[in-house]
Amino acid sequence: MGAKTKQALLLLVAVLLGVIFIVPVIWMVTISLKSDVEAFLPSLSFIPNEPTLINYTDALKGGALDVPILRWINNSLLVSVVGTVLVLAVDALAAYGLARLDVPFKKLLVPLFLSTLMIPGIIWFVPQYVLFQDLGLIGTYHAFYLPFTGSAFGVFLLYQFFRGFPKELEEAAYIDGANKWRIFQSVLLPSSKSILSTLAVLTFMGIFNDYIWPFYASGGDDRMQTLTSGIAVMTQGSYVNAPNKLMALSTIAAIPVLIVFLLAQKSIVRGITQSGIK
Amino acid sequence: MKGSWKSKLTSGLFVLPYLLCFGVFLLYPLVSGLVLSLQNNDMLGTHEFVGFKNYKDIFTPGTYVHDSFVRGLWGTLKFVVYSVPVLIAVGLALALLVGALTAKARGLFRTVFFLPYAISATVMATIWMRVFDTDSGFLNLMLDRLHIHRSQHIGWFTDTPWVWIALVASTVWWTIGFNMMLFINGLNEVPEELYEAAKIDGASAWQRLIRITLPSIKNVTAVVLIMTVIASFNVFAQPNLMTRGGPGFETNVMLMKVFDVAYGQHQGGAASAMAILLGLIMMAVSAILYRLMFRKEAS
Repeated sequence: MGAKTKQALLLLVAVLLGVIFIVPVIWMVTISLKSDVEAFLPSLSFIPNEPTLINYTDALKGGALDVPILRWINNSLLVSVVGTVLVLAVDALAAYGLARLDVPFKKLLVPLFLSTLMIPGIIWFVPQYVLFQDLGLIGTYHAFYLPFTGSAFGVFLLYQFFRGFPKELEEAAYIDGANKWRIFQSVLLPSSKSILSTLAVLTFMGIFNDYIWPFYASGGDDRMQTLTSGIAVMTQGSYVNAPNKLMALSTIAAIPVLIVFLLAQKSIVRGITQSGIK
Repeated sequence: MKGSWKSKLTSGLFVLPYLLCFGVFLLYPLVSGLVLSLQNNDMLGTHEFVGFKNYKDIFTPGTYVHDSFVRGLWGTLKFVVYSVPVLIAVGLALALLVGALTAKARGLFRTVFFLPYAISATVMATIWMRVFDTDSGFLNLMLDRLHIHRSQHIGWFTDTPWVWIALVASTVWWTIGFNMMLFINGLNEVPEELYEAAKIDGASAWQRLIRITLPSIKNVTAVVLIMTVIASFNVFAQPNLMTRGGPGFETNVMLMKVFDVAYGQHQGGAASAMAILLGLIMMAVSAILYRLMFRKEAS
């Protein structure tokens, strides 16, 4: 078999598999464009007979679906952004300290943080809920993003990166009389934009897409769901019988992460590479 | 300057914010989880110390938590056994396929196969519920069109073994991009000279895969395997949203049971004990796999 035939065959296989991967997403959009009547007609066509945007306008009007969708979108964006900023801030500070500074008990702290990466999250899920209940935070925004600040993943990712950072730049700055904070701010951070954006993207997607924690952290309050946990509530409820509405909402929920994902794909790939899994 | 207590203090301040977050939101729940498992806790504010009663209940046939634990563990183990080989094999196959494509096509297909990974569990579930729906789902309509199973639709979520096939298929679609990326990383590290030497020796593509590629990416494979096993033990969203644990108790998985016992039965202590036992099982399985993978390498 010639090299060209082989390439053509491989490409054919890739295209076929690619279609299988993409079809479910297109099917979601197709159903979201169907009217209430058409949504129940068995059809394999990817283009609805009478495409309509009514499911989207209904969804975005809020209230029309009997669920506060605008509020969910607002909740999702709010907790994802606040959580990402917080995680980035505390993780970058800690990783810099552990990688470059004479932090007391460093030899104890690093393995302590890292070992938690191997412990399954389900062990602290229920006690975490009890903690937030004791703090009176169930049903508030704080319950949504605070748990993410405890994860050692970002510390680990940045720690690896900061450790490989050349010492000379720091030393030059020390000689110029800069203190640790100045060096962190004006030497370390500007040189770490790519790894920081990697962590930002992964954290944003993680918080935005999480549904189990917000589902319980909302305390069962419909207005305190995120877009992701809200859709979970809807799939369990009467909206099973309104696939077109559910799909419009799913499309709306998928768009922000897909955009972030496509824009940041390179940095996600880099993040996976830099996590040191080889 | 270095080494002085003053320097140590200011250095420590950098770690302090995270240390607080770690202590309060991770370490404390972890430790209190152990305490919680020794309590009778209704998740509404009242609790009492009961010793190892929750653990005893889990191992006492006839109790609610025993049934939950056994059913949950059985469902989860089945999912692990069915899903892990597929997730490894397909992940590696896609990585090999993408790697063999021309540079231009490579980037595109890497993105296509990785794309579903960005989608949330709930959107994934709503999509696949419409694909696998018995009466009007995409797949059964497709099978109709192809004149397969025309007399009777497949109950993708209501019959075995179809329900497991549906769960594994949707899981592959949703998460395979991550495994593929790790394998692509590993394959990039294999020295080109090895392949060239083998080609000169007249080794076939299959022989090169078995003798060069697989041994060279052993470390990555071990990591992917362990991460996949852990992820599969944590299965929750797919059965919880799509099959609701059915048909019967077939796809009741452990995490569903933990949440049911905690929030449905208001037995936080028993739920915590179940979670800890599951965690111990997961850690034991990971440790065994780790040793198996790396002992083989040493020999």
